[in-house]
Amino acid sequence: MAVAVLFCSARALAQPAPPSPAMPPPEPEPEPEPINDSDGYTPAVEGAGAPSPLSIDGYIDVGFAKAQGDGTSFAPNDQSIPADYGVDTFAPAVNSRGDVASTNSNGRFVNGFLPRSVGIGGNASFLLNTLDVDLKYAPASAPLMVFSRVQFLPRFTGSGDDTRVYVEQAFGRLVPFDSQEFALSAGKFDSVFGIEYLDNESNIRTGVTPSLVARYTTGQSIGAKLFYRLQIQPLQSAVSLNVSATNSGNLVESLQPPDASLTGEPVGAGRLGYELNTPGIQAKVGASGMIGPRNDQPEQAAHQKAYGFDLRVAVAGVYLNAEYVHLDEGEGGPKTTSLGNFPISSTFNVRGGYVQLAYALPFSVGALHKVTVYGRYDRRHAWFDGFTPITVDRFTGGVRIELWEAIILKAEYLDNRELAGAPTVANNVFTSSLVYSW
Amino acid sequence: MRRGQIAGGTLLAAALFAAPAVVVPAVAAPPPSDARGWLGEELPLPLAVRTPQDLAVKSAAEKQYLIFNLLAGGKLAWDGGDFATAATKWEALLRIHPLDPELEKTIKPLASEARSRAAGQPVAETTPVSTTPASSSLPASSPPVAPANPTVSVSGTVSGGGPLGPGGAVIWLKRANGETPRPAPAHGKMITQRAKVIVPHVLVVPVGSKVAFRNDDPIFHNIFSLSKPNEFDTGLYKQGATYTETFRHPGVVQLLCNIHASMFGFVVIVDTPYYAESDASGAFNIKGVPPGEYELQVWHEAAGKPTVEHLTVGAGGVRGLALRVAGDKRTPQFLPDKSGKPRQSHLGY
Repeated sequence: MAVAVLFCSARALAQPAPPSPAMPPPEPEPEPEPINDSDGYTPAVEGAGAPSPLSIDGYIDVGFAKAQGDGTSFAPNDQSIPADYGVDTFAPAVNSRGDVASTNSNGRFVNGFLPRSVGIGGNASFLLNTLDVDLKYAPASAPLMVFSRVQFLPRFTGSGDDTRVYVEQAFGRLVPFDSQEFALSAGKFDSVFGIEYLDNESNIRTGVTPSLVARYTTGQSIGAKLFYRLQIQPLQSAVSLNVSATNSGNLVESLQPPDASLTGEPVGAGRLGYELNTPGIQAKVGASGMIGPRNDQPEQAAHQKAYGFDLRVAVAGVYLNAEYVHLDEGEGGPKTTSLGNFPISSTFNVRGGYVQLAYALPFSVGALHKVTVYGRYDRRHAWFDGFTPITVDRFTGGVRIELWEAIILKAEYLDNRELAGAPTVANNVFTSSLVYSW
Repeated sequence: MRRGQIAGGTLLAAALFAAPAVVVPAVAAPPPSDARGWLGEELPLPLAVRTPQDLAVKSAAEKQYLIFNLLAGGKLAWDGGDFATAATKWEALLRIHPLDPELEKTIKPLASEARSRAAGQPVAETTPVSTTPASSSLPASSPPVAPANPTVSVSGTVSGGGPLGPGGAVIWLKRANGETPRPAPAHGKMITQRAKVIVPHVLVVPVGSKVAFRNDDPIFHNIFSLSKPNEFDTGLYKQGATYTETFRHPGVVQLLCNIHASMFGFVVIVDTPYYAESDASGAFNIKGVPPGEYELQVWHEAAGKPTVEHLTVGAGGVRGLALRVAGDKRTPQFLPDKSGKPRQSHLGY
């Protein structure tokens, strides 16, 4: 039997073999091509089977929040006038829009330095923050994209802002040269100042609430925008320039008039950035500036000027974001914002910034995709000429959980502190958000 | 690595003792699962090369390791009743030149016996480790390898895929009983970036394949993957430049560009030689499939989960197979940059 031969031959094989001269190993023969070799699949660019040039996306942001006190930063015993000049009215933010729990000043005079409000006061409440619909049209036959972002903002409390439909963005973008990273946009678009506008929506922001300086950098306005980026291959780097000329500046809509230019003079803004993109680390730094009329009143001489610096570093799942903003607004006449008409536009100055650290841990356990823990420190020093300067800061800590590919759960706590110039008031916030993207 | 006991007079130990240039632990015919670490393509002992003598020693050791691999691999296959594999390995061994005459004398009848027994088996498999190095040393008078048993095709149509349609579905088969043969890597695979589109959008390759990435645009591109364990990053590369990546692990790899937030594509790496990709109409054809029982899987970018079915492949193959993939998974709204942070594609460039 063969197996027997196999074993019986062992003794013979155990004999020492004559030493063989060193020889190179046999050259490997080219392996045969797989019989099922494939050249791959690419859908048709146009016509049957081609992806639609129109995409409709969006999200629904539902929250649950509880602010301390009466949901404002107004102190009961504070008698300063205007009331919103003596506190940080934006402090008790409860959602991704920066809406606060309440702006009720109990009849005290305010001068329009106010955020929008969901009107829940100090009550714990569920919130329907935003129903967002994004339309993007990008035909394959032209270097053109049209984008619109329309948001339905239901506000049912009766004591805060009214329910409204808000066209946050609507613009066209043209990329005229194949050989350059150069794009021109016109319409209503995001700010070009700083970095916080990049993740200003609740379906993309790490945490729930915006920073204390977001109110000065993340507004949308109507105008034209130019973007150019130059890649520097030997350094795995790029330099970018993003500039715009718009009706208004970068302040959020509650601090600006709705869309139209009240002065006839545009506001110029821009950011010069440098980015390093290596496999192990991404680092981005930028310097931003803005100059132009305040545009919350018709007086052209009342200007606004701002500059800022930003930093982003991402390495091994750790994300560091930091930003500093310096803004000065000149004095003007009676002003108009999206919240209404107010008698004066005072000289206003602010210096502030934040540092945020986040750690993202990817998961692949059932529906669980990613867990991110984050913390942010904000600090703001601001004053209206002739009024007491106010210094406040905020500690924010939270967790973000991503489920499937469509659901994000976020919860965070905001510890607001009045450090100088403003009465200490109970205005800490717990807030959470469930965002379903579709 | 598990070290087996030396059984007096075993063939494997004796064969190894007969090779003076290499010292490896003797193995007393352990079960195949324990032996897989040994019977690999690479020498399991790192041998440093610093001098020409070192190179000679390493070359000799590699040759002896190859002999060991084929000898022991054939024995293990024989013990496991896989006579086709035993025959293939021993036949490959007999093609090595020069070969110890005593060893040749011992193995020749065994290879012949294994080949005759294999004639009644459904499949003859050849793994790259057993044939590749040896075949280059084939003497002109080497006996021809017995032809493999007939194979058939599995063809059909994929439907579904939601708004993307059924094109680009990847279908592959793995044996339900026993091991699926290891596929030969594909060669010359290329993915380009053209007009800010990754072409092809979906490419399927066997594990171990090299894929070249070439930039056909007059602007810089970057291709990276965050898909574990097939992460890579080409870095920036200009028009005409090429970067090659070897995909060593099965799985789906999402390709992204760090510069252009709307660019994405897929490479699907399979660990089976039986695979295909559907065309725009959903039609597919898998060739060279030995009859038998298989688990069939279908991946599609619009399906949240792959379709999994049991498939019996008869002697006449399978035609008109109707497969359906879900269309429940939407195209990602935000594609991440290489740090994993999502990007809004309508911003910037």
